[in-house]
Amino acid sequence: MRKLLDFLYRKRHWFVFILFEIISFALIYRNNSYQRSVLLSSANVVVANVSSVSGEVLQYMNLVEKNKALLDKNGQLEMELLHLQDQFQLMQAELDTFSGFVPDSLTTSFPYKSVTATIVNKSVSHTANYLTIDKGRLDGIAPDMGVVSSDGVVGVVSTVSDHFAVVLPLLNPKFRLSCKVLGSSYFGSMQWDGRDVAYANVDELPLHVKFETGDTIVTSGYSALFPAGLIVGQVVDSEKQQDDAFYSIRVKLATSFTSLSQVRVIVNYFQKEQIEIEKEALQHD
Amino acid sequence: MISTWFKGIIYFVCCVLLQVLIFNNIYFLRLATPFIYLLFIIKLPLSIPSSFITVISFLIGFTIDLFSNTPGMHAAACTLVGFARSYIVEGLFIGKDLPESGAPSFALFTKWGYFRYLTMLVLIQNVMLFFVESFTLFDPIYLLLRVGGSTILTVLLLFSIEALNFEYIKGEG
Repeated sequence: MRKLLDFLYRKRHWFVFILFEIISFALIYRNNSYQRSVLLSSANVVVANVSSVSGEVLQYMNLVEKNKALLDKNGQLEMELLHLQDQFQLMQAELDTFSGFVPDSLTTSFPYKSVTATIVNKSVSHTANYLTIDKGRLDGIAPDMGVVSSDGVVGVVSTVSDHFAVVLPLLNPKFRLSCKVLGSSYFGSMQWDGRDVAYANVDELPLHVKFETGDTIVTSGYSALFPAGLIVGQVVDSEKQQDDAFYSIRVKLATSFTSLSQVRVIVNYFQKEQIEIEKEALQHD
Repeated sequence: MISTWFKGIIYFVCCVLLQVLIFNNIYFLRLATPFIYLLFIIKLPLSIPSSFITVISFLIGFTIDLFSNTPGMHAAACTLVGFARSYIVEGLFIGKDLPESGAPSFALFTKWGYFRYLTMLVLIQNVMLFFVESFTLFDPIYLLLRVGGSTILTVLLLFSIEALNFEYIKGEG
């Protein structure tokens, strides 16, 4: 017994080392999944609060640029509004007989709502990146909600605490996004290759889909995350995949992740219902 | 004794904050990120028992992990660095008397010795970190580029910091 204790004491350097390596790898292994523990992520209260201070400073420094972008967007929306009003008046004139029609106020035809959030912590330099935003469960955010910016798709919420949430952006190989070429109805799945923050690949797109460089890639709407038609990026290059049955397209992402600071989380009122019914269908299979 | 602990904790907090608030946002050419928080492990006094250094290294790695959303990765790399540190220090002083106290510096290790010590620790950390990270996505050439880039950047930065060390300049002049 004495000898054993002596041995343990003499080799304590090794034991400490092995113990902590085991702990580290256990952490890596446990958190490699899509849903992660809140305590160990940047949605943790202490970490998120420190990060949000630095986020605020950075935001302040970017105000001029943001202001300009907002003005641009505002002008664009104004033009769109005028255009729509014009169209509306034309249509109203055509459909004069329907002026007495009152739509049913109980049906919500568009089941999406968005919540604006500020990014308080983000990484773009890793192979698997994450963003932390300052809205959480108390603001109605839940895992699996889609996140967009004013330019295009950003990612999906993976972990939520009371006041913060961690977002899995497009810049994370664990996130695959179903998307299609605008104007066609065949869809492929987008995944990041871990290299350039400005580009990602869309794989499994059937060979007979016609597209050209510069075409817009949008969300397909074939998941409960995003409504169809949100801009994801632009085609820059394409090649046949090894098995020759599919295209692989290189896409320039619409969202600039390095300068991103404001995002909107998309709340889908019917998401729960859709996921439940899909689960049920799988069970009966 | 208490003031040493207090100083150590302040160094710890400074290193972590500098890393997560500033240096984590640097990714030169999308390849290199300087890991300046390693300075904390590098400058730990020689009088601390080697097994305790491993524990401290794990703690700082784990703290960095919390901030950068990489549970376990920095912790695993730092534990290895802390473990290897005592062997590397011994290796530098083969055939010479090992100093019993004082923090590693130019004065204690000589410039060339400090450079070798620094490079080895940084290289160990980077190899381990990027190796672990490649579990998610394996891309060998890119992996080598990232290890090389980050190591060179970190070593340059940490060596410059030591070269600006006030006490050393005063001693030389």
